[in-house]
Amino acid sequence: MSILFLGTSSGAGKTTVCAMVCRYLSRNGVDVAPFKGSNLSLNSIATKDGGEIGMGQAFQAWAAGIEPETDMNPVLLKPSGKGVIQLVLNGRPYKNITKDDPMDRGMTLQEVKKAYDRMNERHRLVLCEGSGSPVELNLMDTDLANVGLMRVTGVPAILVGDIERGGVFAAIYGTWKLIPDELKPQMKGFIINRFRGDGSILRSAIGHIESLTGMKCLGVLRYEYLRFPEEDSLSSSDGKLEGNDVHTAFISNLDEMIAHAEEDGFDFDGLKKICGL
Amino acid sequence: MEKIVKKVNDEIKRGWLGPDHNCPYHPAHFTGQDCSFCYCPFFPCNDTTFGWELQGRHGAVWNCSDCLFIHRTPVVKFIYSEIERLGIEDAKDPRFNDIFKAAKERFWKKGKALMVVGATSDAGKSVTVAAICRILHDRGYLVAPFKSQNMSLNSKVTRTGAEIAMIQVLQAKAAGITNPDAHMNPILLKPKGDTVSQVMVCGKPFADYDVEGYYNEFVPGPGIEIVKEHVDFLKDRYDCVIMEGAGSPAEINIYDKDIANMRAAEIADANVILVVNVEWGGSFAYALGTVELIPEKDRKRIKGIILNNVRGNTENLRSGADRLEEITGIPVIGIIPHADVVLPSEDSEALRGVRSKGRGESLIGVIKFPRMANFTDLDPLFLEDVSTVFVEKPEDLKGVDAIVMPGTKNTVADYLWMQETGIADVIKGLWKKIPIVGICGGYQMMGKVLDDSNGIEAGKSAVYEGLGFFDNTTTFGEYAKQILRNEGKLAVGDGGEITGYELHMGISDVREKQPLVYLERFHADPVPEGCVREEDLTFGTYQHGIFDKPAFRKYFLSFVKHNGKPVDTSHAEDYDVTIEENLVKLAKVFEENMDVERLIDIAGVRE
Ligand code: SF4
Repeated sequence: MSILFLGTSSGAGKTTVCAMVCRYLSRNGVDVAPFKGSNLSLNSIATKDGGEIGMGQAFQAWAAGIEPETDMNPVLLKPSGKGVIQLVLNGRPYKNITKDDPMDRGMTLQEVKKAYDRMNERHRLVLCEGSGSPVELNLMDTDLANVGLMRVTGVPAILVGDIERGGVFAAIYGTWKLIPDELKPQMKGFIINRFRGDGSILRSAIGHIESLTGMKCLGVLRYEYLRFPEEDSLSSSDGKLEGNDVHTAFISNLDEMIAHAEEDGFDFDGLKKICGL
Repeated sequence: MEKIVKKVNDEIKRGWLGPDHNCPYHPAHFTGQDCSFCYCPFFPCNDTTFGWELQGRHGAVWNCSDCLFIHRTPVVKFIYSEIERLGIEDAKDPRFNDIFKAAKERFWKKGKALMVVGATSDAGKSVTVAAICRILHDRGYLVAPFKSQNMSLNSKVTRTGAEIAMIQVLQAKAAGITNPDAHMNPILLKPKGDTVSQVMVCGKPFADYDVEGYYNEFVPGPGIEIVKEHVDFLKDRYDCVIMEGAGSPAEINIYDKDIANMRAAEIADANVILVVNVEWGGSFAYALGTVELIPEKDRKRIKGIILNNVRGNTENLRSGADRLEEITGIPVIGIIPHADVVLPSEDSEALRGVRSKGRGESLIGVIKFPRMANFTDLDPLFLEDVSTVFVEKPEDLKGVDAIVMPGTKNTVADYLWMQETGIADVIKGLWKKIPIVGICGGYQMMGKVLDDSNGIEAGKSAVYEGLGFFDNTTTFGEYAKQILRNEGKLAVGDGGEITGYELHMGISDVREKQPLVYLERFHADPVPEGCVREEDLTFGTYQHGIFDKPAFRKYFLSFVKHNGKPVDTSHAEDYDVTIEENLVKLAKVFEENMDVERLIDIAGVRE
């Protein structure tokens, strides 16, 4: 079984929400593991099996109480400057891609699918994270981690929107609208992230979006001061997030986040249902 | 009146003049204005499209200060041709009435309005408005910026003593307007606490509201009328009013109560352009969702979409933009690359959680008061060869080479915050060791006493002991001081020029000997202001914007030393010049990447 978290933009909070759900489910005894088809990031981490994956998945793995492994992030794209991107495939440097020598999308999508299948064999639930926005009209045809994955796996999806910047209802509705019609039935729910204030003022708008899209709102998460590990291409840490302290601090932050979510009435049961649990 | 007649007679005799660059006040109204009729031959025209009746001490006076009509070249040329045709030689000739009527008939028409809304709060609306203002101004249109409702703690004072948001002042500058006024930002919300804001109407305090009160009482009551009145005022005087929305126009939970976006567009009968920030991705979804969630009757006002802030090749977005056009039926009129400009921004880095900036060796600690106000004051300082850290806790002061205490909306509350956090103690420990400058609220804190026995600031009567760096006592009363523009000279250093403006509650009894500046006063002796103790490296002033001119920046930074090495200020530039250069740059980026002809059509100003 699996589920995919999509974001209305990069930085919408997918990584953190995935980590929170990993933690929540593992605390409830579910064998859960993170997965991100393709990652554009400079922040990577070495796995015990000698591979390399995006740092976000490593943290999510720890949140799920398991060790990071290469199948959690089969495609890692590391910008190395001057328009060159290093493609790390299944944890190993594979080739440098440039404008004139682009990535073989068909092949990589197959690799993504294979890794996804292997993860599904090993774990009860695979919690997938999308990449950026799933509906970049100029990139959608060649997408791997979002609609690409939805297409080849039929995975159900949940959309995470960031309310802090404003326009979250437009972002959720617009994203849903631009998802290809044949994939719309896979769009099951949405989450409003980073809210400050009294959630009741959003009720009517949420109802409106629910009735327009048929997606169910799982909840409104409050603004949390937990912003790492940064997964998007806009920020880079210098890889200093390892070590026990950070690890423990991260987990306890997630616990706090879960407590807040429960307090605010986040629909964990609904989420479980969508996951097929 | 006799004086005016004489002046007009001179103007009749002299003939057409055009812009008078020799006049020390030029341009008194707008860049490119015609100065032939500095005194108006129609005075008083009694036509409220142009002027208005001011109730003065000796009865009503006809006020022409907002009239731009008489400074438009075609109008002026027409008047002269009529004067010649009719053989008029005297200002009192009754036929001027006919000329006025004919001129209005021929050259005046109600202005248009164009509104810029953003899909998110950081879409880049403000700079887009500034860029459009400049582009249209460069093409000879007279345009004015407008934002019905602005929530901001960065305000400036207009020449009539009203307070408006800093960003509209910047946009007015882009439009070539010399005297921005409160019509351009009739409603200003200044956040007071977490939920309450002081509502300023037309630049004057109106009342305090919480969120609910604002939306349920203010908006449907006076709010809508205020927007109507002021948009209309501007439309009478300008070819086009370039309006800025607030946040997203598609917040469907407050749609009916929102007077900053589509409702304002409706009131002004404005066409609308939607700006989307591409940087974070999802821009097509944001654009489509915004368009579709706006009800049909308002949606049809949206006539163009701008994809803004593209890093990398704009062409990569072309195919997506074409698809978006197809789906929404709205043309994408611009794909704008990230504009690398230095302009004051409402979206202050300090507020966005940025903790430090700059690359210089010397480190300046800026105390980040919870109610920090007018922090764009410091922008020119950040352009120098220094680094900045925004100080929120005592540890942040570690290793700083200088301290800046900026302005605040509430001196006493923020002073107490500084004491509670322990920051005040660290500052006291650093006193006399590194330079410390206080501006406005920060300056007040540097005195010996903060007297709030009226309970104005903290809500309860108390007198507080200040930091004690200066022998000053500040007393808070209902009185607020607002001065648009001070000009003067440094009382220390090289005595260079400074400018500033004042905006504060409380007055200070200053017992220090050495002022920081001498403010020039019309037909009177210069007024000393601020305090300096050079031997203690301590500086303070009420002048917001004191860093704008290079003189004070250079003076202050000459005391700031990192490992004994002072800051290199040899490239210090007048900030006004920097802003102007950057407005030119900004407009160019937009112009080169936008369909300007289409913009002109959408604005509705094409002849
Ligand atoms: S308002 Fe304008 S046109 Fe009327 S008298 Fe004054 S300057 Fe002349």
